[in-house]
Amino acid sequence: MNWFSRGVRNAFRNLTRTFALIIILGLSIGLSLSMLIAHQAVSQKISNVKSSVYNTISIFPAGIRGFAGGGTPLTMSQLKPIASLSHVIKLDESLSDRMTSSDTSLQSAVSAGKLGRRFAANGFGGFGGGANFNFKPPVTVNGTTNPEDLRSSAATTGGGNFTLVSGQVFNGNANNNVALIGTKLAAKNNLKVGSTFTAYNTTITVVGIFTSGNTFGDNQVIMPLETLQRISGETGDVTSASAYVDSVTNLNSVTNEIKKQLGSSADITNSQQQAQNTVSSLEGIQTVSLYSLIGAVIAGGVIILMTMVMIVRERRREIGVIKAIGSSNLRVAMQFMAEAVTLTIVAAIVGIIIGALASNPITNMLVSNSSNSRTRALGGSSPGPRHFSTVGGLGFFHRNFSSIHSTVGFSIIGYGLVAAILIALIGSAVASYFIAKVRPAEVMRVE
Amino acid sequence: MVTAVNGVSFSIPDGQFVSIIGQSGSGKTSLLSMLGALDQPTSGLIEIDGQDITKLRGQELNHYRAQTVGFVFQSYNLVPNLTAIENVMLPMEFINKSKPERIERAKQLLSEVGLSEDQMHRKPGKLSGGQQQRVAIARALANKPKYILADEPTGNLDSETGKLIFDLLHHLAKMENTTIITVTHDLSIAGKTDRSFRLKDGKITKPKGK
Repeated sequence: MNWFSRGVRNAFRNLTRTFALIIILGLSIGLSLSMLIAHQAVSQKISNVKSSVYNTISIFPAGIRGFAGGGTPLTMSQLKPIASLSHVIKLDESLSDRMTSSDTSLQSAVSAGKLGRRFAANGFGGFGGGANFNFKPPVTVNGTTNPEDLRSSAATTGGGNFTLVSGQVFNGNANNNVALIGTKLAAKNNLKVGSTFTAYNTTITVVGIFTSGNTFGDNQVIMPLETLQRISGETGDVTSASAYVDSVTNLNSVTNEIKKQLGSSADITNSQQQAQNTVSSLEGIQTVSLYSLIGAVIAGGVIILMTMVMIVRERRREIGVIKAIGSSNLRVAMQFMAEAVTLTIVAAIVGIIIGALASNPITNMLVSNSSNSRTRALGGSSPGPRHFSTVGGLGFFHRNFSSIHSTVGFSIIGYGLVAAILIALIGSAVASYFIAKVRPAEVMRVE
Repeated sequence: MVTAVNGVSFSIPDGQFVSIIGQSGSGKTSLLSMLGALDQPTSGLIEIDGQDITKLRGQELNHYRAQTVGFVFQSYNLVPNLTAIENVMLPMEFINKSKPERIERAKQLLSEVGLSEDQMHRKPGKLSGGQQQRVAIARALANKPKYILADEPTGNLDSETGKLIFDLLHHLAKMENTTIITVTHDLSIAGKTDRSFRLKDGKITKPKGK
């Protein structure tokens, strides 16, 4: 038996105390890991949010969002110089319209319902109007240069992620009489790839069927921008555009340049503020989890430190004996280090199990609490529909919050074990100081 | 400041069994602590075989404690979490003896002090006082030290067991050719040693030889 095996064995010398210590330390390590996992999950989410929305500038005709408000459409010639601004890497333009039964052969897959009748009664003015019982919901058509980005259109804002179910995606810069249609609209009108329908007295061929993951998005038609402009007689008109900037750092300068170019004809917003609203709550969680992580690690260190100091004090006589019969301070200290490391590794195993079980609930609880308070702050609890569905708005906020998932990987387990060993070494370092102070002559005292 | 030991000088031939007697507070234990390099004098020097042990530091000091002297304490001072054989093996670890050597030597010593095979694998808590002191003696002899320093080795034992332990120490000292210096206030034990010193107020007052 050497110093190491003596240390390992001593860890289980007093089983009651060892059990209690392992549970307390395990909870501390488990909390540390949960906070680390939460911190990593939230950091990853913040990074995703920043990379996905931070570099977008939304351009709308002044006074309009989606199908609410009013004003004059922008034109492609107005927007053309924007595409060549420095730091603008792409410009997506779209024209949205709503086709009634006189415009198209398609029937909406969504029934009017109470909400549709109310909106129709007063020109989509909201709950103030009466009910129009003859109202049939129109079919939204979106002409776009980027058919796969459902965010690029005011009409499809919040429309989820584009997934092609069958067929193919058309070229956004083409001018063919082709369309992609949502799955629900296709089902309602018995359309397949290759089927045709009429829009603005023009026969349109279905080249693909897509899903966006929600009913609104799946009840739409997507066409090439120029096709929709041509068949609807709105040549050159654009109802929304998205400019993508190469870096977040250039976002505000490019936004200002676009504002300068378009003047009062357009409402221009960038995603920085919207994303910041979302990210600020996530950053709050990130900070809480970081401080909790530091606190839990310190607590773990203090627990093992105090325990080791207590053990050393208890075993002063034994330490004195071992030194009296020829052991060096270092060898005794290493024995106690082995004991501390054994205790913390067992506690780390318990902590990893606790962390694995608790990380998701803790992350969700932190996110849920923050999300609720954020929603209240944004007025999200007030009932009723919202006509202004801005890019990166409240829905975006909820989407980001609801999709945070923490996972326990080998790296986390590795961190846990490394942290445990560090805690043990820090804890036993102070104990080693006390060991060095024990005078072997103390064993001569008779108790 | 209390001067526990002052100007003490004595010489002992190798292999002798020597006792130091004196009243409580006479400096017996302090003398033994310093002979064993467990304590440092505030001033002066302690020469053993011409070497000033107060100047020993680090490895030299550990080596002195491990190999030159062996301690037998009044309250045995066995490591409670180790078995009897592990307690005896412990000092051999500090001079880097191999494990098989340690086991063989520990078994041999424990047999010599009268422990059965079963008792060798018991922890101190499962042994009687006399058996614990036997283990302590075996531990003191483990590294074949030149000197065994015994501090009231029979102090916690009944007279019968104390006598047996004393005889055992005597026998082993002869067998292993080890010099034993024992501190005691039991005059009957002191009377049986080869030589006896009386310590009073930190000074040797009555060397007595047989």
